[in-house]
Amino acid sequence: MDALTKALVAGAIGLAAGLWSSESVLRVTSGLDARTIGAWTASVDAGVQEADPYTRASIERSGEIPLALGEGLQLVAHTDDSGAALSPRCVYRVGSRAPAARYWTLGLVDRVGFPVDNAAKRAVFRSSELLRDEKGGFVITVSADARAGNWLPIGGSQRFYLVLRLYDSPFSATAAAIDKDALPRIVRESCR
Amino acid sequence: MKSPTSTLRLVFDLATIAIGGALTAGLVHIVSILIVPLYASNDAFARLSALGPINATIALPQASADSRLIPFGDPAVAVAFCRYDLRNGPLRVTAPAARYEYSSLSFHTNRGGIFYALTDRAAAQGQFDALVATDEQLRAIASRESEDEPSQDLRIVSPTYEGFVMMRAFSEAPSLYPLAQARTRGLKCQPEAPQS
Repeated sequence: MDALTKALVAGAIGLAAGLWSSESVLRVTSGLDARTIGAWTASVDAGVQEADPYTRASIERSGEIPLALGEGLQLVAHTDDSGAALSPRCVYRVGSRAPAARYWTLGLVDRVGFPVDNAAKRAVFRSSELLRDEKGGFVITVSADARAGNWLPIGGSQRFYLVLRLYDSPFSATAAAIDKDALPRIVRESCR
Repeated sequence: MKSPTSTLRLVFDLATIAIGGALTAGLVHIVSILIVPLYASNDAFARLSALGPINATIALPQASADSRLIPFGDPAVAVAFCRYDLRNGPLRVTAPAARYEYSSLSFHTNRGGIFYALTDRAAAQGQFDALVATDEQLRAIASRESEDEPSQDLRIVSPTYEGFVMMRAFSEAPSLYPLAQARTRGLKCQPEAPQS
């Protein structure tokens, strides 16, 4: 085998492997700075100018406009507390506390970040419209079938993510400081 | 039958290719990650640019399953934006800031970075008012001012000529969304006339 052939083969393999690795990293990552707390992941650097290259590339590619540090913080859950992927065939209880923030919302999105259509026309729960218990706690039931109380419907039959957004929160600059117990737990109740 | 030398030769060739391939892969990976922000033609700025001219206030549709422009938008939050180009001079940004509900302004470069943000809590007299300018333009403005009457302006240095200002307004209930949207429509972005 002459040197040119070797160089061409190595170059082709390298190009394919390099592009494939970038593609797969950007598909799953939320950046080098991603902090995982329980089932929730926050990308703290998304809202700053000096974000790391992975964070920047993943934001550019998705076209998302992150919250700035001074505005708030977004956390995304791909799984429940046990680590199992969120499934439209299951019923989840989300609660009972949320980190300190002036307002927060809990929404359901598909795997590219858009709300999922559902018959009840509800894509998000606001902290200002929740039914709460006597201690100020709450439970939001995430399920395909209608539930009494705070019900966040699962539309469609695709896997989904839950998004928790904190507005005007003291934690926006320091997601690392959020205690796991301060975030809502995502407990799977039952599955079909 | 192959001689031991030719087998050895083949192993050596494959090892060279594997090492060369791995090195190339590493280089391609790093370069491709770094150039995505420079060449992403479908980033947020490009998507917003398609919606209208610079300095115009444009409301984004409420996040829903049907409006798939910008992902991870909050259906509880109304959003409007304006693009700017500081080559036309500094930009005056004003917007109403209601006293009890959350609203915010964030300032973005055309390359996906956020260089400033403030919420209604930092707005004086129920009004956001800021001047966005390049470093050079700000120095020119400062040199024209007298030291006895320092300006009360909120001045923000934009690291790039082009970018956009985004206003978010929170709605406390679904029925209040139209009001939040009306507030975001109050965002005004105007090039500041150069003072002589």
